[in-house]
Amino acid sequence: MVALIHRAEYAQYDFGPEHPFTPARLAMLLDLLGELGVDLDPVQAPAATREEILTVHDPAYVEVVEALSRGESRPDAEAFGLGTPDNPIFPGMDLAARWLVGGALHGARLLMSGAEQRVLQLGGGLHHAQRNRAAGFCLYNDLAVAIQALVAHGWRVAYLDIDLHHGDGVQSLFYDHDRVLTISLHESGHYLFPGTGHIQELGGGYARGLSLNLPFEPFTGAEDYLEAFDTVVPQALAMFSPHVLVVQAGADAHFADPMGDLALTTQAFEALHRRILDLAHRHAQGRLLATLGGGYDAQVVSRVWTILALTLLDRPLPEALPPAWIERWRPLLGETPPTRLHDPVPAFPPLPGSELRSHHNRDMVSRLLDALARYWL
Amino acid sequence: MLVQEMMRSPVVTIPPEASLKEACNLFSSRGFRHLPVMEGGRLVGVLTDRDLRWATSALCPEPRKLEDPVRSAMSQPPITIDPLDPVEDAARIMREHKIGCLPVMDGPELVGILTGMDILDTLIKLTGVSLPSSRLEVALDDRPGELARLTAFLAERHVNIHSILTYPDADRFVRTVLRVGSSQIRPLAEELRQAGFRILWPRPKPWSR
Repeated sequence: MVALIHRAEYAQYDFGPEHPFTPARLAMLLDLLGELGVDLDPVQAPAATREEILTVHDPAYVEVVEALSRGESRPDAEAFGLGTPDNPIFPGMDLAARWLVGGALHGARLLMSGAEQRVLQLGGGLHHAQRNRAAGFCLYNDLAVAIQALVAHGWRVAYLDIDLHHGDGVQSLFYDHDRVLTISLHESGHYLFPGTGHIQELGGGYARGLSLNLPFEPFTGAEDYLEAFDTVVPQALAMFSPHVLVVQAGADAHFADPMGDLALTTQAFEALHRRILDLAHRHAQGRLLATLGGGYDAQVVSRVWTILALTLLDRPLPEALPPAWIERWRPLLGETPPTRLHDPVPAFPPLPGSELRSHHNRDMVSRLLDALARYWL
Repeated sequence: MLVQEMMRSPVVTIPPEASLKEACNLFSSRGFRHLPVMEGGRLVGVLTDRDLRWATSALCPEPRKLEDPVRSAMSQPPITIDPLDPVEDAARIMREHKIGCLPVMDGPELVGILTGMDILDTLIKLTGVSLPSSRLEVALDDRPGELARLTAFLAERHVNIHSILTYPDADRFVRTVLRVGSSQIRPLAEELRQAGFRILWPRPKPWSR
């Protein structure tokens, strides 16, 4: 009852050799899963159509992506977030992004038809893409297209985002929508991209109180993160009682990630993944649609997402990484390749200032809950 | 930023002979707290909700009645500002006089009103995040060309700057806070460090040292 969604065409979503969002990360992950005995016969979903993209994106924006994708030059590209260091233009990018959207959308359809209870798309998670703008490596918002289809089916949808960065695209696309609850845990926008995701962003109109943000201080570790998660997420889901839980399972909140400053370990990710599965059972009738997301240290993301996949598949986690896999990917694994699935314990020495950080993180959570009380009661 | 870009217009005004009750109705129905008082096309004072509350309070030595005219309770002479004055002047005048609004006068003509809320909106606009961006904080030496060196470095890498805020640091540096349109801020900061810039954020990770 678990569907893995992937196809070779996902590798076409490639901004070039210098870009951090490289498809090599996916290849390493698939190889590791195969090496660990996961039967890799993933569901191959069709690409999303233009019409399906237009359920959340502006026609003018899609038209520019299509033109650039064909190799035409457009002087207004940068106004749409395209042709920037984050979102370079590459031929075929329209279709490359539609493959990923198609995967998430197909996952949603498997849930709606009742064919599956749990779906994991091995790819995607393009949560920064906005209605009329590319941002943060994201062209089309696969999660939002899937959520839109689930909402059109009559379902209430809870969206949970554990990527290092605020899930701004998904949040803003459903900010006023009272059938969608969005919860994002991330490093504070005071410091990190995209700069939003503050606790005051609570949703608009009838959806006030249905947009939740937990912005953590830089260098926040597993303990604070999981404490905040446990304080807010279960009660939010219990209150909202969704038909389905959609998760962006980015791996870049790991301490070794080169993009940001949160300090989760693989053990913390395992705890998170188990909580997510448990919450889907308790509050979303067991229905879970998960995608990957950010995560830019190849050896870290392979391990974190292997933990995610094995957890959703109800399979035990091995202790050691297969030597054959380490050998094959040695050039990408760095000077001292990991030999175990989990991080060493402790993964790093105690951090200075952790008391102050915990204090600040707890205050953030209680301010958020105080603000929510008047909308939830 | 100039006052004319921040002010509100058209302005709701009240004549000095109107009653305090009428003024009170305007405050509550329109949701504002300041009324310029106009007599024969001339600004003669400002009635604030604080003026009104004090004048009608039992604590006031000579409490006014609700039928009394606005003239009896308004603040005067009015302190005003020119539409072409900059935001910093408006903020300084309001701070010095501890007042909450400035009627905006173009010569003898009332063309708008600027309140403390408009100044806060401006602060949010100047410091806030309007596009997806990352924070980059640099301590620049206080001498000509330093900011240019920084912005040229970013321009070479095609990194768009959404906003820049600078303020003097305690020890002779110019703290420069930028919001830049790139999520790859750590690699960028590393390059800047190697080029000799003093980067205050992002900091090296404590566990990687």
